[in-house]
Amino acid sequence: MHDPHIILILTTLLGAVGLWLMLPRGTHRGRSVGIILTAVALGAGASQLPYLGDWLTESIFGVLAAVTVVSAAATIAFRNPVYCAIWFGLTLLGTAGLFLFAGAQFLAVATIVVYAGAILVTFLFVLMLAQPEGKAAYDRVSWEALLSAVLGMVFVGVLSMAIVGVFTAPREAKERPVAPPAAKELAENVLVPQHVAALGTELFGKHLIAVEVAGALLLAALVGAAVIVAQGKMEEKNERNAQQKRD
Amino acid sequence: MLLPLTLEALLKIALLIAGLMTAAAYFVLLERWIAAWVQDRLGPNRVGVPLTKIRLFGLGQPIADGVKFLFKAEFTPGHVDKFIYFLAPMSIFAAAILVFAVIPFGSALPPNIFPASWGVGEPIQLVAAPGIDVGMIYVFAVGSIAVYGVVLGGWASNNKYSFLGGLRSGAQLISYELPLGLGILGVVLASGSLRLETIISQQAQSGAWNCFLQPLGFLVFAVASFAEAGRLPFDLPEAEQELVGGYHTEYSGIKLMMYLVAEFLHMITASFLIAILFLGGWHFWGLTDGGGPDGNTVTWVVAVLRIIVLLAKVMAMILFFMVVRWSWPRFRYDQLMDIGWKVMIPWGLANLIAVAVWVEYGDRIAHSLGLPPLLCMGLCGFVILLLGWYVATKADPTLNDNRPRRRLISPDRHVEKIEV
Repeated sequence: MHDPHIILILTTLLGAVGLWLMLPRGTHRGRSVGIILTAVALGAGASQLPYLGDWLTESIFGVLAAVTVVSAAATIAFRNPVYCAIWFGLTLLGTAGLFLFAGAQFLAVATIVVYAGAILVTFLFVLMLAQPEGKAAYDRVSWEALLSAVLGMVFVGVLSMAIVGVFTAPREAKERPVAPPAAKELAENVLVPQHVAALGTELFGKHLIAVEVAGALLLAALVGAAVIVAQGKMEEKNERNAQQKRD
Repeated sequence: MLLPLTLEALLKIALLIAGLMTAAAYFVLLERWIAAWVQDRLGPNRVGVPLTKIRLFGLGQPIADGVKFLFKAEFTPGHVDKFIYFLAPMSIFAAAILVFAVIPFGSALPPNIFPASWGVGEPIQLVAAPGIDVGMIYVFAVGSIAVYGVVLGGWASNNKYSFLGGLRSGAQLISYELPLGLGILGVVLASGSLRLETIISQQAQSGAWNCFLQPLGFLVFAVASFAEAGRLPFDLPEAEQELVGGYHTEYSGIKLMMYLVAEFLHMITASFLIAILFLGGWHFWGLTDGGGPDGNTVTWVVAVLRIIVLLAKVMAMILFFMVVRWSWPRFRYDQLMDIGWKVMIPWGLANLIAVAVWVEYGDRIAHSLGLPPLLCMGLCGFVILLLGWYVATKADPTLNDNRPRRRLISPDRHVEKIEV
């Protein structure tokens, strides 16, 4: 069973079945089996990861990755939308930790500021105002559970095969491979002490137009929101005036 | 190499947590003393050394309070969502402590004050995680997690008052994050770094604190940090008359204590940030000179002086927070939102634009006027402050005038108001 092909295909299959069993399908049957299958798939996939060099790095990465993946699975498996949102928050924290682990400080904090600090809080507001208990059954069941689980796992499987290099590496790799040291470009672009300054030079030098276009798009959305609110108020006022005239 | 670094970090973390917890406990006592002083009472002065009759000016009170909180009945109401009910106070408490990873509490300790056998070769930076290049955004990111504690606590309590309180405070915290960020941006733009240590050392080098150079930014940041810390006049979360106890109505015992301690930690964080960003950090003219701005060649006298100066500034800010609490009435909800969105954000933008113009053209402007650049920038800053104040009060006269609105606005708008 040392062939990475077979292990990765097995991971994909087990993961797909496990995820399908875990998703809210309107019945509780097979959930624990699904959790066990997904855990086995996770372990099998993790066994194929390259060794990172020393036990401290390895264990920090392991904990962060496990938190991210497990909470991501929990995000789609829970029935109560508020819990889903909280698990998603944990996924974001795990992702930010992985970014920090890789030396991308700015991406790590930006993930928390943008996703956890702004977008998810807005989600929570909406979810809390909508009563989860009062919803119909078909609202609390995931649609096309089998299709989405299989598609998601196939995507994960293909990506990890590409990353681990199964398609190109020789098949009789018996020992666990060791991760290569950080590439030269990585050390020059990401791990510089003046991290944010380097990032800013890159963003506002090479990608200036893209940044400006994104900014203009966001501004347009903001103005649009303000216009919609103002229109609603105008209509209300007109209706009230018409009402008064009729009276 | 790894072990001494880990030990150093763990020591700093232990120092920070012990210091912060003690400080939070004793700030409660200080707050009660100041309340007593403002209201012409004596305040807590009885509890001293346990099991004796020594009173010690009431210094034992925080210990008694803490013990009381720990041993109180840990009551969980039957109608709450258990998991989130437990999670909410923990998340707000953890976020409040996490911020201190990048906040410096001094400049650096010289290596020669330690025994030679310890092998300390380099000056020890007095911050738990030195060299984080995104320090300022990190503070902002972790601060934005505090919203979860409030919103989730209110929702999990399954109680209308808690929920309304939670939503209201959530909206307040999110709204005031914008002026807070704008206040920070001005400083970051002027100093060209997000690292708190660099921001301090730049102010120390020029000797001109940012509160003199960007008074409008200082005002915006100070007001926004009052709102973020949930202190009066922005303590809508716990408007007793309207919402019982706001989002922590249903909490008791140690979970309530976590909320209250987190609130005090927010105030301490805000004081540290104001002192570091705008009041020069550990710098004081004539006292902390020598040793270089980054603390590489510092002597131990200067190192200790720098810690004392920084903590004195923080203490002064906290005293200001506490006196303000007993000086202003609470804002109404619409007033709170009006001040945030219609006054603070435009002021923050004006300050940001002024700083951007100054960074680009400042030297040329100062040269053509024949004034020293820093003096010129300070003057411009105060002109912008007065201009901002004038425009804001012209646009909405109720900001600085307590007469009823109908006497302040023009007659035709008055008629329209009645129609609506």
